Amino acid sequence: MTPEMLVLPWALLGMRFGLDAVTQVFLGLTLVLWALAGVYAMGYLSADPRRRSFMLFFALTFSGNLGLVLARDVASFYLFFALMTFAAYGLVIHTREPAALRAGRVYIALAVLGEALLLAGLMLAASSAPTLEIADVRAGAAASPQRGAVVALLLAGFGVKAGALGVHMWLPLAHPVAPTPASAVLSGAMIKAGLLGWLHFLPLGESALPGWGIALAAAGLAAAFYAALAGVMQDDAKTVLAYSSISQMGIITVALGAGLAVPGAAAPAIAAAAFYALHHGLAKGALFLGVGIAPAVRQPARFAALLLPALALAGMPQSSGALAKYALKSSLSELAWAAPLLPFAAVGTTLLMARFLFLVQAGGAKHATRSRRALVAWLACVAASVALAWLPLRALELPAAVEPSWSDAWPILLGAALSVAVASAGGGLGRLRVPPGDVLVPLMAAATGSHRGAHALGARLGTVARRGFARLQARWREGVKRLRSACDAGEARLRAAGSAAALLVIAVVFLFLQ
Amino acid sequence: LSWSAAAPLAVLATSLVTALAIFLLAEERHGLRTALNLGGAALKLLLVIAMLWGVYHGTDYELRYPLLAGVDFVLRSDLLSMLFVTLSALLWLFTTLYAVGYLEGSPHRSRFFGFFSLCVASTVGIALAGNLITFVFFYEMLTLSTYPLVVHRGTPKALYAGKVYLAYTLGGGTLVLAGTAWLYGLLPSVDFSHGGVASALAAEHHAALIAIFVLLIAGLGVKAGLVPLHTWLPIAMVAPAPVSALLHAVAVVKAGAFGIVRVLYDVYGIEFSAALGLLGPLAGIAAFTILYGSVRALAQDELKRRLAFSTVSQVSYIVLGACVLGPLGTIGGVVHLVHQGIMKITLFFCAGNLAETLGLHHVSRLDGVGRRMPWTMAAFTAAALGMIGVPPLAGFVTKWYLGIGAAAAGMYWVVAVLMASSVLNAAYFLPIVYAAWFKPPREPWKENKAAARAPGRLETDWRLLVPALATAAFSIGAGALAAAEFSPLGWAKLFAIQAYLQ
Repeated sequence: MTPEMLVLPWALLGMRFGLDAVTQVFLGLTLVLWALAGVYAMGYLSADPRRRSFMLFFALTFSGNLGLVLARDVASFYLFFALMTFAAYGLVIHTREPAALRAGRVYIALAVLGEALLLAGLMLAASSAPTLEIADVRAGAAASPQRGAVVALLLAGFGVKAGALGVHMWLPLAHPVAPTPASAVLSGAMIKAGLLGWLHFLPLGESALPGWGIALAAAGLAAAFYAALAGVMQDDAKTVLAYSSISQMGIITVALGAGLAVPGAAAPAIAAAAFYALHHGLAKGALFLGVGIAPAVRQPARFAALLLPALALAGMPQSSGALAKYALKSSLSELAWAAPLLPFAAVGTTLLMARFLFLVQAGGAKHATRSRRALVAWLACVAASVALAWLPLRALELPAAVEPSWSDAWPILLGAALSVAVASAGGGLGRLRVPPGDVLVPLMAAATGSHRGAHALGARLGTVARRGFARLQARWREGVKRLRSACDAGEARLRAAGSAAALLVIAVVFLFLQ
Repeated sequence: LSWSAAAPLAVLATSLVTALAIFLLAEERHGLRTALNLGGAALKLLLVIAMLWGVYHGTDYELRYPLLAGVDFVLRSDLLSMLFVTLSALLWLFTTLYAVGYLEGSPHRSRFFGFFSLCVASTVGIALAGNLITFVFFYEMLTLSTYPLVVHRGTPKALYAGKVYLAYTLGGGTLVLAGTAWLYGLLPSVDFSHGGVASALAAEHHAALIAIFVLLIAGLGVKAGLVPLHTWLPIAMVAPAPVSALLHAVAVVKAGAFGIVRVLYDVYGIEFSAALGLLGPLAGIAAFTILYGSVRALAQDELKRRLAFSTVSQVSYIVLGACVLGPLGTIGGVVHLVHQGIMKITLFFCAGNLAETLGLHHVSRLDGVGRRMPWTMAAFTAAALGMIGVPPLAGFVTKWYLGIGAAAAGMYWVVAVLMASSVLNAAYFLPIVYAAWFKPPREPWKENKAAARAPGRLETDWRLLVPALATAAFSIGAGALAAAEFSPLGWAKLFAIQAYLQ
């Protein structure tokens, strides 16, 4: 890659912008998805009274996403990351409906927490780095005396964006309530910013962290399965897609775990993660955009255009998904136990996609558009997702294309069969439901309590301080009063002794002064 | 009298002479008084810029006048004093404009502006003081000149606030004076110098030095709002908005923090302070203050009270940074002298605008105010995000240097404190921003006198709006252009280099 950079030495802490092989892929995804979603939004929101507000936040969020891809120094990266985070809040609560406001609250709370954690991680890493350039800060993360803390902070901080298990709760709430073009970029492009943060700053290829690597891979697999399970028990198509995003990000995380465990495995893992991100972004974008298209006359054609990216996500042979999964599996050579589990994640994906297609066909979205612009943008996104399978991405040095194989096909067939079985069996199994945001529900109860507690603590501290102050004041007044009465008494005694005594005192004082 | 000796005196005189002239002026000479005020402020800013240029190119400005044998009155320019002088000259200009608009049509303006100028004169004196005794002189003068401003409205609440303010600050002043006198007893003179002067004393005096340090810090900590000496601060915010703005951003609170930095770096010397084991406890107090102030701010509904507790919290960033051994932490603390000033003054200007224009004093009443007063709320939002530490605002630069400085010094708990404080800041600022921009207004606005003076389509009196927008622009510029040579950060870096090369 050409190491050309745009350097603004006077801006912020010295801004640098540029591209490398990995960020090129993210740049492509960001540009394509945001452009198509933008065109889509023009049609989708043409009658919306708050259109201008949407466009403002859309443009700001896009600027943040674009800037963080191009940034080559840690401060600029964090600047654009924060811009994207805060501007996206306007997209989440766009409708101002109670569900949107609730999603917004959860989003902003987790986002602020994430920003704080990742800033702490970045500062610890940067304090061991000679410059603020991203490569140096990554080396700093590896060299930091607090390496474990750095890794933990970065995993959790960026994990909020990437939908990592434990801090994923905002995705299934926020992605469905945002207007459809916003959901597409939230789920397609924005969560990849968290992944890019990991790729940039985790000490991948710098130091061997087998413990962290295995933990990360295990967490990724857990997310992949857990989200698939929670996702199939949803009633809203966009919520299912949001859970699918958590599941897919979990699969990508497994590759990162391999890279973190063994430095030699980092390069293929990074390449696989980047390509997987591109594949998932385009396919997920196409699915989200499709939800908002009103069921037109040609129902089968619409179904087909939704089916293609869905199958790509499940990893159908000859699709971008098959390429991505192959690259991912190849990067797991040092984490051999994880590879055989991946096909089962693909089964989960197939179940999610079946559930999604069923929900779309059955009911469709609350708000669907008949705009031609939106239709064109959606179809372009589907086309991009399909075409990705033939796009040569030489810069990434992915393993050569694969022949269609049985190992790609069986998880899809198994998933499809399972879906049909559950659907036709009826009974209790098909009616199991999980509330969107899953663990959030018990957590919120606890959080409300602690929130009240914090307020009460603040008020209590005030009362205690006030009371203490009042007590001190009272004691002081008491003391002053006592002193005054003592003085009064003394003076009265002096007066009683007559002026002779007073004269004597003055004389003594005078003598001392002499 | 050469230029290099006259310059500090001239900077001081621009506000001292203005003050005297205003006191002599009749109450109804509004035009002339405004001209004097703004003229003095502008002249001071020009002089300060000339001095900055000189200091940057190595000129030493010093005025020395013997008071008693061995006790000199010294005004001198160094990097730290220029940072503070520039801040106060710049903010004084805007606060004056703001105060003129704010007090339009109210009584006792002659008294107000007279003491206002005296207050700034004291601040400049504190900044330029070249030794501890000169510092104490202006420190006390500041206390006395701000009291009439705090009680300006004359209401029982204001008088009570004034009483509390005076009790605290005079008490603090006494401690500082005692510490200073003790130190002068041990040393022939206490001129501020890089690396400090106290380390020259033999080891048998170290216990005394520690006691003096406690006296000085306790006295300065009153004004800097270190918990538990901060109680006067939220009470004193009944003062008119320009006074609160000045009190919280440059004058009183900052004088305390500046004094602590002076004591640490130029009296004791940072490495000697560390050797005496003084930094750890002070850092602990500062960290506690940061968290305590933020938690208290959460529960305040009155906007100015919330801002006051936020000041308690934010000023301790300066103290905390000063206590982190190593140039990076020093940079973070010293640069926050400026950053906290420009951000907090913006917030108080905006709070004043809301009160004067729409009669809004409480956070719970701010729903939808962004649509009615978009410029004011834009400035407020920028400053609030800066306080949270969002880039590219000034607060981010502070937090960054404090964080990496603390990490480099191995004080990892400081990073945790910073993050907790960021989250708490977000918790008490973001709801305001949210309510103003996203919630619909509850009832029609009740427009006040400032709204009536708004020219054309402007949301309020331009003299209230321009200062808020200007300081908000500084808050953005100080962060976005931090790496530029003449930014506050650039200046703080020069100071840190000096402090550690000695």
